[in-house]
Amino acid sequence: MRADLAGPPRFLLLGACLVLAGCSGPQSSLDPAGEAAERVSELFWQMLTGAAVIWCIVIGASVLASYRGSRTWDDRTAFRVILWGGAVFPTIVLAGLLVHGLRLMPELRAAGGDLRIEVEARQFWWHVTYHAEGRPPIVSANELRMPAGGIVEVVLTSPDVIHSFWIPAIAGKTDAIPGRTTRQMLKPTRPGIYRGACAEFCGSSHALMAMTAEVMTPERFEAWLDEEGGPAKPQASAGEQVFQQAGCGACHTVRGTPANGTVGPDLTHVGSRHAIGAGILPNSPEEIARFVAHADEVKPGIDMPSYRMLPEQDLMALATWLAGLE
Amino acid sequence: MTMEHAADEAADLERQQVQEDRLRRVWETPSGWRYWSAVNNSEVGVWYTATSFFFFLFAGVLALIVRAQLAVPDNDLVTAPFYNQLFTLHGTMMMFLFAVPIFEAVAILILPQMLAARDLPFPRLSAFGYWCFLIGGVFVAGSIFFSSAPDGGWFMYPPLTTNPETSGIGADIWLLGLSFIEVASIAAAVELIVGVLKCRPPGMRINLIPLYCWYVLIVAGMILFAFPPLIAGDILFEMERLFDWPFFNPERGGDPILWQHLFWIFGHPEVYIIFLPSIALLAMMVPTFAQRPIVGYGWIVLAAVGTGFLSFGLWAHHMFTTGLPAISLGFFSAASEAVAIPTGVQIFVFVATMLAGRVVFSIPMLYASGALAIFVFGGLTGVMVALAPFDWQAHDTHFVVAHLHYTLIGGMFFPLVAGVYYFYPFLMGHMLSERLGKWAFWLMFSGFNIAFLPMHFTGLRGMPRRVFTYPEGLGFDWLNMVSTVGAFIMAAGVLVFVWDVVRPFSWKPKAPRNPWNAGTLEWVAGNPSEPWGIRSVPIITTRYPLWDQKDLIRNIDEGRYFLPDAEEEKRETLITGVLDAEPIQVLRLPGNSFLPMWAAIFVGGSFIAATFHWWIPTILSGVIGIFVIMAWLWTGTSMIPEKPDKDAGRGKHLPLYASGPRSVGWWAMFITMVGDATAFASLVFAYFFYWTIHPDFPPPDAKGPGVFLPLLSAALTLGAWICMLLARHRNAIGNSGQGLFLLCASAALAAASGAALLAAPWLTGLAPTTDVYDATVWVLVLWTVVHVAVGILMQFYCIARSLAGKLTPEHDIDLQNVTLYWHFGAITVVVTALVIALFPLVA
Amino acid sequence: MLFWRDRADLWTLITPPTVWAIHFMVCYGIAAVECAKSGMQSDLFVTQVAISVATVVALALIGMSGLFGYRHWGVGSELPPYDAPTSEQREQFLGVCILLVSCLSFVGVVFVALPPVFITDCR
Repeated sequence: MRADLAGPPRFLLLGACLVLAGCSGPQSSLDPAGEAAERVSELFWQMLTGAAVIWCIVIGASVLASYRGSRTWDDRTAFRVILWGGAVFPTIVLAGLLVHGLRLMPELRAAGGDLRIEVEARQFWWHVTYHAEGRPPIVSANELRMPAGGIVEVVLTSPDVIHSFWIPAIAGKTDAIPGRTTRQMLKPTRPGIYRGACAEFCGSSHALMAMTAEVMTPERFEAWLDEEGGPAKPQASAGEQVFQQAGCGACHTVRGTPANGTVGPDLTHVGSRHAIGAGILPNSPEEIARFVAHADEVKPGIDMPSYRMLPEQDLMALATWLAGLE
Repeated sequence: MTMEHAADEAADLERQQVQEDRLRRVWETPSGWRYWSAVNNSEVGVWYTATSFFFFLFAGVLALIVRAQLAVPDNDLVTAPFYNQLFTLHGTMMMFLFAVPIFEAVAILILPQMLAARDLPFPRLSAFGYWCFLIGGVFVAGSIFFSSAPDGGWFMYPPLTTNPETSGIGADIWLLGLSFIEVASIAAAVELIVGVLKCRPPGMRINLIPLYCWYVLIVAGMILFAFPPLIAGDILFEMERLFDWPFFNPERGGDPILWQHLFWIFGHPEVYIIFLPSIALLAMMVPTFAQRPIVGYGWIVLAAVGTGFLSFGLWAHHMFTTGLPAISLGFFSAASEAVAIPTGVQIFVFVATMLAGRVVFSIPMLYASGALAIFVFGGLTGVMVALAPFDWQAHDTHFVVAHLHYTLIGGMFFPLVAGVYYFYPFLMGHMLSERLGKWAFWLMFSGFNIAFLPMHFTGLRGMPRRVFTYPEGLGFDWLNMVSTVGAFIMAAGVLVFVWDVVRPFSWKPKAPRNPWNAGTLEWVAGNPSEPWGIRSVPIITTRYPLWDQKDLIRNIDEGRYFLPDAEEEKRETLITGVLDAEPIQVLRLPGNSFLPMWAAIFVGGSFIAATFHWWIPTILSGVIGIFVIMAWLWTGTSMIPEKPDKDAGRGKHLPLYASGPRSVGWWAMFITMVGDATAFASLVFAYFFYWTIHPDFPPPDAKGPGVFLPLLSAALTLGAWICMLLARHRNAIGNSGQGLFLLCASAALAAASGAALLAAPWLTGLAPTTDVYDATVWVLVLWTVVHVAVGILMQFYCIARSLAGKLTPEHDIDLQNVTLYWHFGAITVVVTALVIALFPLVA
Repeated sequence: MLFWRDRADLWTLITPPTVWAIHFMVCYGIAAVECAKSGMQSDLFVTQVAISVATVVALALIGMSGLFGYRHWGVGSELPPYDAPTSEQREQFLGVCILLVSCLSFVGVVFVALPPVFITDCR
């Protein structure tokens, strides 16, 4: 029974270290920036404390049983241990937890919202459409921006396989399922830049399907909507010609140019995004060039062909032009 | 006086000698290549255990590659597609090729000894199950060497796995290979239920059976209701993959969520199917090492029964994030919390028994306490994820990976290793090393916690599951490195354990009889063990006979109880009543045979050929398989004994033949058909599921299947069923001629019924590839027609048996069982007809 | 009648959890169908009424099973562990098991009846 003696200290020590260092981060549900995430992380810490106490009691009892010499309890006492410890106590605790959980559910899914964002999850990126009051729909991709203090209803669909939309710092996740429409409520509270990810296994590049989520002050958000809703302001350059000649417009839209494809992400304001390739690469001309030339290596299983045949200078011109689409 | 006494004693010894020689001859394990024709539980059980343990090691190596890949961010040790095969196969193999089979293996191995039975009631069925498992397992596992292993996750969610663009042959290998193994699981369930209920020693009433048997009974019952929905799901899935029937394709009315329901109706009970038998091993060990009877025997029954039922109300907690209405999630959340109550009871029974006894330190107890420490923690995180709001964060992250490994390693693996240390002396006659045992324990225990404890935080910090890589700087880096180090430490522990088990016997001390001073019957086994299992079947009067019944072992060894001999040189075991275990029959058991192996080879060949779309070999192999099974039935079942009864020992005369509900075969058929009905119910569920999700179901332009033909089919089947009842009755009163005529009439009516049912969707032009409604009607019709066809085949079998003189008025097992089949068959046809014909009128 | 037999057996043992299972399926089925057919705005009135009725019925049946178990237990006559090889002790043992299983099923039914108390729409 030595296992039990050695157990608690290691668990506790290791646990304490992890707790101190292991919670922060742009993708952490324990570093909340939204109401739901806050409620759930509170719930987690409460449950963890309770769990630790219960664990110590149960394991403590079995250690006691092994190390108490020759004194044994009589059957009647042992029965009481089963009745109260094994049946009555868990029933009460679990009933309490269940009620707590049931009350939380409708709260986290409450209706309403002044901003509706349609997210279509695809292998392996996100097609995003903003429906703000008094504005025409605004199309974007691979990034979600929302106002702090607002209530956002994310409407999820998928044309190919099941994905799951998840921004841990703000709220839990909801799947995007072909043939169904699902919803996730977001109530961001703290401005900042966070990261979201696809949480349901969706194929080769499931690991490379992420997004940036920026929570902005309401004023900045309105200003950003104005920008994002407008057409691109492309600088006439060799890059634009490469874009047209290589046929990029067949799949991508750049509003304000002839490119109006809808197979791939909208690139109208790609230069202003925090990351490219669905949240996986920093936004710079070099990375854009790498992505265009080696899409299949950067993201296995991707639909986009790799443009290895483009001459180096065309590639850089294209990348520079794209990075300039702010 | 003394001389007379001595003479008596000498005669007695001689009698014993003669009996032992005869028993040894009858139960002898064949040697040479014929060894593989053995069907006895002690051989099949060892093969089964060794094979599933081999698959465990295989899947463990896959996990180590996974952990190596995740050790550092942006790693490129393996490619994304290969990584996806690794984790899919790891999960699949651990679940289907290790966790469930090892339960069957261990139960086949130790259950008969615990019940003082010579063998389980259907030894050839066990052997068939083993060969199915081996063939299917090698097929699924081997696919990784051709880089064509399944890669869609062990849960195989469509449309990722049904779309030909995103999935390959791996998906077919998964579906067909595992369907084949599921059949073996159901076979084992049938065997174990009948074993526990009917093969107990005289006097072992229901309040005296070893706790392990309670768990086995419950778990086998759970298999019966959990596996068939998956088989139904597999059928839908494979129909979509092979023939483009759109069950999960939303463009033509299908819905991927249906698969999730069917998969998890299987998948969650399965967790308990894995957990309960292992905790059952602890329930045998704890009293032994506390040196007292268990405290709260009834509580354990409560825990086992309660868990068995409640675990069927948890499935949608795997679907908390699919956007189902909160109210639906609420029910599953409630049941998921409720199931923790019987689990808690279970744990506290052990704690209470230890508190009320004097615990003797030993290696099995070391593992048992490690199991407790790990499992309780896993249970507590389970209570957390049962709350939907928390699960919305934790779902599909490494938190869940950590949680499930805590429950399965703590609830299944550590108890199993404890069981190996505990039972090794009884199985192999040698003791395992205490020193190596401690080394293995500390390496595994610390390695496990180092690997999986940090994973809770990795997950809540945002790392999803099933990712082949992750970027730097999100805070996953060092946590993952720690986990990888832990995984390799644990693997080192497993290696030490394996070494302890496989190192030569000459290095290990010989085990004394009953080395732990346990109280239950399996420890009667002597060393070296004899092939007969138990020398004579004792009368039991307590829960711990070896502790409480004086001179039990001596009387068993001297053949003072039941079946001490094999006068007719036939394998026999005792059949007793369900509640009070009063002896009711001496059952003749079939001997060694290659037929089960050949049956498995051909049936398996049929499944494997179907994977590659080689249709002619598929059909050929399947037909040969059916003939082999027929040959097996013809030569090995319902044999007419040479005399009606025999002296079973102690002057008790028992019949050698029983049919109807008194026979074990009838119960086996009944249990199998319950499982079959569950699969059918799952298909009917699919029909109504589509009705709930579509505003119009059937679609307004649906043309079929009409009302007349399905109802005609139902009427014809009822006619066939009545003929069957009459045939059984006529035969029983001695009028075999009329019986034969009625059997033929029944077969003709059944054939007409099947034809009418097939004609319904055919003539109305339902096209299964165009819409899910058509496909659903067709799949119900096909399922039903296949059952009618099998029923007709059985009727012909009865006719042939009767003509061959193997089916007589007194010896009518075959006819009784086929009639029972037709009860279920008739229900299937009538339900199908009512659903497809009348429901459209109501809807 | 499975709830009241002369003799306790394995069928009477699994009757209470079977009632739980049927109650569970009824609750889930009704709610799922109402939400699927009347959309997200549904107030779940039908579901709440139906589940209340189902719960009362289920609790009554389980109570009956529990009482049956209690009778067979024959309280006060003897204490556990009921491990004597007699028909009386076998009956007592099954009685106490049925009582325990009934208690668990009762709690299970109450748990499953809770969601409609707190959740009143189909979101």
